[in-house]
Amino acid sequence: MPLLRGRVRCRRGVERARFQDAQGARPTRPRGGIRLTINKSKYDLNVEPNWTLYYLIHDVLGLTGSKQFCDRGECGSCTMIVDGKPVLSCMMLAIECDGKTVETVEGIADEGHPLIEAYAKHHAMQCGYCTPGFVVTSKALLDRNPDPTGEEVVEALAGNICRCGTYPQHVIAVKEAAAKLQVEKAAGRGQK
Amino acid sequence: MSKQSEIETERMVEMFDNLRADKYPLKEFKCIGQKGPRRVDGLAKASGQADYTMDVQLPGMLHMRFLDSPYPHAKILKMDTSKAEKLPGVTYILRYDDPELPESENLGFFTVFQNDKPLDGIAHFEGQPMGAAVAADTEGIAEEALSLIEIEWEERPFNLDPIAASDPNAPLSFPERYMDGNHWNRGVLDEDIHGDVEKGFAEADRVIEFKITRAGHTWIAPERPCGVWKWNGDCAEIWLKNQRGYVAKRYIKTWFGGIPMDKIELHMPYQGATFGGWTHTDWNLGGLYCAAVVSRRTKRPVKYVFTRREDFYGSSMDEGIYFVKVGFKKDGKITAVDGTVYHVNAIHPAYSPLRHLHENTRIPHLKGQTKSIWVNKGPAVAIRCEMLMPVLVQTMVMNRVAAELGMDPIEVALKNDGGQGHDMDWLNEQKKERGFEVRDSLKECIEKGKAEFKWDKSWHEPGTRKLPNGRMHGVGFTWTHEWSDSAGTGEIAIRIERNDGTATVLGIRCDNGVDAENSYCQIVADELGMRLEDVHYNPRFDPGFHTNSPDSASSMSINGWAVRHAARILKQKILESATSPTAPTQRGSYQPAFRNTKPEDLDITDSVIFVKSDPSRQMSLADFVRRMGTQGPLANLEFQGVREAWTEPLFAYGYHVQLGDYNPNHPREKFCRQAHFMEVEVDTETGEIFITRIVNANDVGKVINRMSCEGQQYGGSVMGMSRGKLEEVIHDPATGIMLNGNLIDYKVATIKDVCPIGTILVETGMGYGPYGVVGIGEDIATLVPALLAPAVYNAIGVWIDEFPITPDRVLKALGKI
Repeated sequence: MPLLRGRVRCRRGVERARFQDAQGARPTRPRGGIRLTINKSKYDLNVEPNWTLYYLIHDVLGLTGSKQFCDRGECGSCTMIVDGKPVLSCMMLAIECDGKTVETVEGIADEGHPLIEAYAKHHAMQCGYCTPGFVVTSKALLDRNPDPTGEEVVEALAGNICRCGTYPQHVIAVKEAAAKLQVEKAAGRGQK
Repeated sequence: MSKQSEIETERMVEMFDNLRADKYPLKEFKCIGQKGPRRVDGLAKASGQADYTMDVQLPGMLHMRFLDSPYPHAKILKMDTSKAEKLPGVTYILRYDDPELPESENLGFFTVFQNDKPLDGIAHFEGQPMGAAVAADTEGIAEEALSLIEIEWEERPFNLDPIAASDPNAPLSFPERYMDGNHWNRGVLDEDIHGDVEKGFAEADRVIEFKITRAGHTWIAPERPCGVWKWNGDCAEIWLKNQRGYVAKRYIKTWFGGIPMDKIELHMPYQGATFGGWTHTDWNLGGLYCAAVVSRRTKRPVKYVFTRREDFYGSSMDEGIYFVKVGFKKDGKITAVDGTVYHVNAIHPAYSPLRHLHENTRIPHLKGQTKSIWVNKGPAVAIRCEMLMPVLVQTMVMNRVAAELGMDPIEVALKNDGGQGHDMDWLNEQKKERGFEVRDSLKECIEKGKAEFKWDKSWHEPGTRKLPNGRMHGVGFTWTHEWSDSAGTGEIAIRIERNDGTATVLGIRCDNGVDAENSYCQIVADELGMRLEDVHYNPRFDPGFHTNSPDSASSMSINGWAVRHAARILKQKILESATSPTAPTQRGSYQPAFRNTKPEDLDITDSVIFVKSDPSRQMSLADFVRRMGTQGPLANLEFQGVREAWTEPLFAYGYHVQLGDYNPNHPREKFCRQAHFMEVEVDTETGEIFITRIVNANDVGKVINRMSCEGQQYGGSVMGMSRGKLEEVIHDPATGIMLNGNLIDYKVATIKDVCPIGTILVETGMGYGPYGVVGIGEDIATLVPALLAPAVYNAIGVWIDEFPITPDRVLKALGKI
């Protein structure tokens, strides 16, 4: 049996660097102070330059609703709304969020958004791990498009992966939530 | 015989007479089978409040990561961890040569392929977690420390191709375990033979042969595999992502010279899906073992998490190369099938490729063999189900025969339906003998499915229908039996809560998302006569009872019995309590809640106990138990002149032993069938396949949780289409390194791939579970990948026998590349 001897590095460099950044690697630079609003609460925080927004919110602040399915912007499970736009929080550095407004699934649930009830009612979940990411992405869609067509819902959710295959229910749930919001708006009780 | 002992007797009869139809079904179903109950976990999951093991954070908790082998087959000769140890934030590095790590340990189910050493020094596939585990303040630091470990490797030759690996001169894939070659069979389930295939081929009008290649695909569970270990003195507290938590506990109790079961506190938070997969691999519990060692040495809780890439190292139980020979008559009756599969890395017992044809057809002569070949890739385990291989063969055999004869594949299906080589008359006799109503399940599934799919208008000669958009139109059909009917045991208890009379179901299980909690609550509600909203099941803690595993696929036929037994016994207990004197003390006892009645005079409906002959005499369960729920018998209330009752706690347990379908010593006939239909459009310029419609018709015997069943249908269809046309783990032949271990390069279906999916549930009652139920969770995702082949054949008129059916394979089949 031929023997090959040699030293190799244990991991692939690029992946390693990215992973370290995403998972809160040791501090290499001084911490930075940022002010941001998360779910209507104001925070004044010192963050490491390499912390992602996901790491800050999930691991440091303990808002564990956002999930990490992949670790590199491939799955949509860590989606948060930053200044009105859905972003992949594993791909955004926390230090970039100074002065920004962040909305997580916890905030969406707290405000009683009809998406939560619609998702539960229509079983738009099975294992549920990816579900908060879908809810946040859908909320961002309804904020900018209160009456989306089925195609528009599909387009908006195209970046969210559900391995259990619950996709057909999401379109139903989002459209039902949209209809409910329309009624509330018409009744003068529209939510922000 | 007292009523109580009658109930006990009934339970015993049910326990041991489980080869027959349910003899004690309910007369009326109120919750069971209804559409609409909201998921018990719905709000928690939608709002992000559902906690998973990945979310667990404990004070002082360390994060542990593992070294991965960069080579497909290599041994560590020397390892220097000194630089890594000096990295700030690193607390501990556990090495493969640590004297405390045993050479062999109980690490779970199928430790055949790997060494069952918690942290091995030899890798048998690239990416294998081995060598070292680093515990640090954060995952990032642990990862960085891994990169500082210097290793001298002995790199060994490796195999990737099963045919090449089965050559006697091929290098050994796993010399530590298999010195004599890379071919290994357990010899139990890998061969099905009935009849004489040579005779069958001689009787045939025509004989065809074909080869199928199926590339490996994997589970992709959203929550990465992980766990947390915390020592509380000599007691272990564990949070675990694992589909078989209670079984894992059985292994854990043997570690470190033995940890008593009562000193293991197991938490099973919500589980971000497993699909079998990782749960079956031994480095899963190996990770937990390492966490336990490091936790004890550092006196801190340790959480280990595997990376997304690490979660890709495993394959399905259909990866391999298939050689199939089929003989058949001109009328579509198949006379013989001979199938051999070179199957990759089956650490799970490998089934025969003809298992389904044996179980659900009248084909008189079958010979099937699975050759399990070791190569240097991750192990093949049951993902969704271990029946991928038999259903792929059944689909291809039936449809190939239909195509050769120019027949409708549905006609071929009905001509061959049967069981164990016998025709439908024989099968119907078995149904009668076992106490079932005789119904033709396949016909019922086909009729309903055909009507919804509009099959008669859709099916056409292969390669003949071009659509206005330029694509070729095709439809496919396949069928098999409902096979999910596990063997095993389940224990479930129910407690009526003091103060409000709600019912709590008790039993630890893995919540993988199939909403079985609701199903059990529905059974309890109907059996006890309670409202569904008064019944709750939290399966995430360990009350000392456990459901049968796998918890998410096929165990309703076991756990359903257990919960039903418990509910029936508890109902009797409630009625006896309501008619018996209460609060026996030295001073005597008090009058029953329902005076001058016997238990059989009462019933419960909508959570209200009432006298059957005079329903105006009634009391809600809440009122009934509230009178018992004081701070203690008679404490501080007697002086108030209130006559409070006091009874024993209202609690009952049920357990069930099911001989089941997977026990090879107790085979039993399968009566329920399923039929599936798919429509595709194929772009012959690009080779792209568009799946435009799917209809699933499943005879589940009896629907318990309708939305859950439908969820398994459309969810399984999505996973199935993904497996059929997208999913393939690719290894570099030169280096043995996996090339697409991430969600960008390994494609899974997104919402844009989804088409309309019809979900039809047929209820013939011919399953061996309570009410005639048979499990559905494993079926559709297992069967739908194969269905793509006949649909694409119908579209382009050429068979594609390589899976997944990717655009390049379509173009190759069309002779365009």
